Amino acid sequence: MPAEEEPRRPDPEALLAAANKAGRGRLKVFLGMAPGVGKTYEMLRAGRRRKAEGGDVLIGVVETHGRRETESLLRGMELLPRRPIEYKGHVLEEFDLDAALARKPGLLLVDEYAHSNAPGSRHPKRWQDVEELLDAGIDVWTTLNVQHLESLVEVVLRITGVRQRETVPDSALSRADDIELVDITPDELRQRLAEGKVYLAETAQRAAEHFFKPENLTALRELALRRMALTVDDQLVAAMRERGVAGPWAAGERILVLISGDGTAGALVRAGRRLSDMMMDAPWTVAHIDQPGRGAAGAQSTGRLNEALKLAEQLGGATVVLTGDDLVGTILDYAVHNNVTQIVVGKSHQPRWKTLFRRALTPALIERTAGAALHIVTETSAQPLVRAAPAPGRRPLWWRGHLASVGFVAVAGLLAHLTDRLSDDANLSMIFMLSVLASGLAFGFGPAITAAALAAFVYNFFFLPPQLTLWIGHPTDVLTFLVFFAVAMTTGWLTGRVRDQARETARRASAVTALLAVSRRLSIAATREDAAKALAEHLAAASSAKAAVFLPKDGDIALAAAAPTEEAFSTADMMAARWAWERGEAAGAGTGTLPNLAWTFHPLQGVKARSGVAAVEATLGGEGERFVLALLDQGAVALERAEFAADAADAEALRRSDRLRTALLNSVSHDLRTPLSTVLGSATTLIDYGATLGAKVRRDLLESIREEAERLNRYVGDLLDMSRLEGGALTTRREWTDVREVLGAATARVGRRLGERRLVRDFPDQLSLVKVDPGLLEQALVNILENAVAYSPDGSAIETATYEDRGNVVISVEDEGRGIPTHELERVFEKFRRMEESSDRGKGAGLGLAIAKGFVEAMGGRIAAASPIHDGKGTRILISLRKETATAPGLL
Amino acid sequence: MSAHRPRILVIDDEPQIHRFLSPALDAAGYEPVRADTATEGLREIARRPPEAVVLDLGLPDMDGKQALTQARAFYAGPIVILSARDRELEKIEALDLGADDYVEKPFGVGELLARLRVAMRHHIRSEGAAPVVDLGDLHIDLVKRHVLKAGEPVRLSPKEYDLLAQLVTSGGKVMTHRQLLTAVWGPAHAEDVQYLRVFVGQLRQKLEDDPARPRAILTELGVGYRFGDG
Repeated sequence: MPAEEEPRRPDPEALLAAANKAGRGRLKVFLGMAPGVGKTYEMLRAGRRRKAEGGDVLIGVVETHGRRETESLLRGMELLPRRPIEYKGHVLEEFDLDAALARKPGLLLVDEYAHSNAPGSRHPKRWQDVEELLDAGIDVWTTLNVQHLESLVEVVLRITGVRQRETVPDSALSRADDIELVDITPDELRQRLAEGKVYLAETAQRAAEHFFKPENLTALRELALRRMALTVDDQLVAAMRERGVAGPWAAGERILVLISGDGTAGALVRAGRRLSDMMMDAPWTVAHIDQPGRGAAGAQSTGRLNEALKLAEQLGGATVVLTGDDLVGTILDYAVHNNVTQIVVGKSHQPRWKTLFRRALTPALIERTAGAALHIVTETSAQPLVRAAPAPGRRPLWWRGHLASVGFVAVAGLLAHLTDRLSDDANLSMIFMLSVLASGLAFGFGPAITAAALAAFVYNFFFLPPQLTLWIGHPTDVLTFLVFFAVAMTTGWLTGRVRDQARETARRASAVTALLAVSRRLSIAATREDAAKALAEHLAAASSAKAAVFLPKDGDIALAAAAPTEEAFSTADMMAARWAWERGEAAGAGTGTLPNLAWTFHPLQGVKARSGVAAVEATLGGEGERFVLALLDQGAVALERAEFAADAADAEALRRSDRLRTALLNSVSHDLRTPLSTVLGSATTLIDYGATLGAKVRRDLLESIREEAERLNRYVGDLLDMSRLEGGALTTRREWTDVREVLGAATARVGRRLGERRLVRDFPDQLSLVKVDPGLLEQALVNILENAVAYSPDGSAIETATYEDRGNVVISVEDEGRGIPTHELERVFEKFRRMEESSDRGKGAGLGLAIAKGFVEAMGGRIAAASPIHDGKGTRILISLRKETATAPGLL
Repeated sequence: MSAHRPRILVIDDEPQIHRFLSPALDAAGYEPVRADTATEGLREIARRPPEAVVLDLGLPDMDGKQALTQARAFYAGPIVILSARDRELEKIEALDLGADDYVEKPFGVGELLARLRVAMRHHIRSEGAAPVVDLGDLHIDLVKRHVLKAGEPVRLSPKEYDLLAQLVTSGGKVMTHRQLLTAVWGPAHAEDVQYLRVFVGQLRQKLEDDPARPRAILTELGVGYRFGDG
């Protein structure tokens, strides 16, 4: 068939996606942190791509809000007309669910998952419409902002002060097969807002200004990211269930342990671990609340805190540092958010005066906690076990800010002096106030207070009469001074806090971005090796040093990945690595075990078991270390997930091979005996009556013996091929191959069985070589061709074609047969799949296409089926083989 | 050859194979000789060298390749091997060890006889003069070193010509990739199958009426090429 009749060939990828769909449609959610991040745009772009690849894409409803960029994406797409609904004299245009169901597209794009339908619609909410569409087997893509999630409404209200009315239950998001995070930085989003690129309803204008504050956006972004991570977690749980682990997912207990830098931290961590043990390994998290408003903790306290967090990670707990001035609020926020059911706090013997002005934590928690149990651990030994040595180089030049504040006040004094000379009644106190403000903004809370005190002193000493004394002569000046002092202190305190919080926000935003990159990369790692590689690379990047990951292998551990370069490890290194692996404790540099080594070896503690060991060639401190530890956590879980996925696949393979065995027995009894009885019958007829039969009849009987023997041979070949595939005994011998030659050989082998069918070839003169196993490809093609023969009538045409398409060499085999009903299409590559009414001659065991698929995939290629292709008839099988770069044949 | 019936030695441990091959060879004008083991076969070759040998690679007493190597030590005549379809490596190894051709089991008698004829003819020819071959409208003269297609001279690069000459001189007998690569590009390129693919493609463009359905240069998938001499 000439190419112009058929301008577009469908992309195998799109077909594969269609083939993978089983029964219920697949849901994909484009998740964003806020309006304006480009979810709709992203969804439409992906939809266009899918359509260009030959997918059946329909746009159910899209709100472009008049954005030109988004509208341009609608051009050329099939749009579902909206359904007018009358409501209180207005006509609302709504998504037409029934029309979508009737049209039954392959993929439906429905914007705004959280939308509430107009009264009078079938469902009150759009997500319910989507539910019905999925049940009807339609794939749906939709968009959602994280603040519309029901469980987050309270959190979002607290963060942004805006209560969301249109919400989606969390389960509606959990059901999504894919979630794609559409992410831009808060700065970019604000930029877009400023440029008017973000649509806002008129009434929402004022609320929006509050909503789009950078700190809000950062918090929302973190929420969106966490939701993504949660989905990955859910997939892990699903994988474990699949594998039949009754295991630790009891009752959804989640434990939160709160620690501070006092002596109880270690005891609390251990209490958390014990509680987790009692609750069948319930997940537990150790949290420390960093209060920016309280200034820096002492070195001793910081040391103890780090020890405790490290301990927690060694014991298998997660760690988190929360930031917030409202201690109880921050804790409860986190607890609600993470479904914490158990909270562990310590009761320490603090001096009475310390709790005088701030409310003690424990009573406040008791008062405000709802839905979680509180465990209060009393201090057993007030004696701190570890007296942290003052870390050299920590917090260098802390006095620098204070010194600069003195400078600011001095400058202010000089200015005030000059102003005093020029004018008599200038308000000099304001100049001093300026210096306090500057100190606060530049150096934070502490220096601001220094500046305030000093400014008050200087103001009084030099400028309030009598000058050069601390006495104040005039009674009104006393008042002026007191007010000045109070205002200076308050200003210092406020500006200092603003600056500290801004820094905190920026730091967290950058940490969120880094973790986002990691979790994305790790969540797509399909195998343990991929995950190990990703982890090693991120560790190396995060610690700016060399990093490596070891994985268990044959009862020992072996190097699986290293970054940035290959690494060789000494015997002592390996000893430390094994120590970390066997004991679950860190070893090497900076630890108590083999501290002379250059590397530090950290065990990778997953949810159920250790999944490996990570090595970093650096000793870290503070923030860097916390980030690396977080990475180790994520890596361990990713490794475990890959392991579970492989196990789940094994279990599935086992189940399938059971089914196969049954089908095989049925098939063997039928498909082997039928040709055998023909052979036996014909042979005995010839033996017994050969002499009396005419030459033509004899010949006919002999022909049928030959044909049936050939059929048996093919069938045995199929069974052998299948068992090679199933038994994993398939070895591929890949060499540079001209696909046209293989097609030629395959058609030659099918030769005689073509009967009256025409064979059409459409080969290009130039075609790239591909590296495949020619024998396997030939067998795959023979099977496909035989299938085409079996299901198409005499006199029809079978077209074989090959062409290059985006880095692939594609082979297509088309017949003009009855075609395959859409609901059968996804199952044609299953074993023992046989269509009814195939002509007798080609009847096989239904293994042909399954073998073709197995062989093609064993060579790294892909295979898909499309039907019908013209006028409701015909089947097309596509094989796509990736081109590799051949060494340039520089010969001649 | 009417007076002399060429002797063909069949070495196979399956009595059923002999049961139909013996009468078939006899009917086709040959004198079949039966051997059930490799040892027996080798002894027969040494005692009375046959005109051709059919050797099954799956013998109980000796590895097929070993039997082939031993036979080749004192027998230069045509050897056609029997091998299963999915055992390409075995076939290639046997061809590289000096077998002339192969037939896949299960096989029809016609196919085996055709391979035997080609192998025997090639052995007769390789002792004689350099050939001039006509195939359809293709005229190849290896003495004058020219190739005509429908009477028009075909311009071939030196490597293309070398490759074609190798195939033509082998006279319809299959040549493995390794044999062709070693002969044309030298032993250093024995594994560079892609050279072969490219040049066979070019030759087909120049020589074949329909390169998708070649008649002069035939593909033996995964094994090699043969010249379509018949």
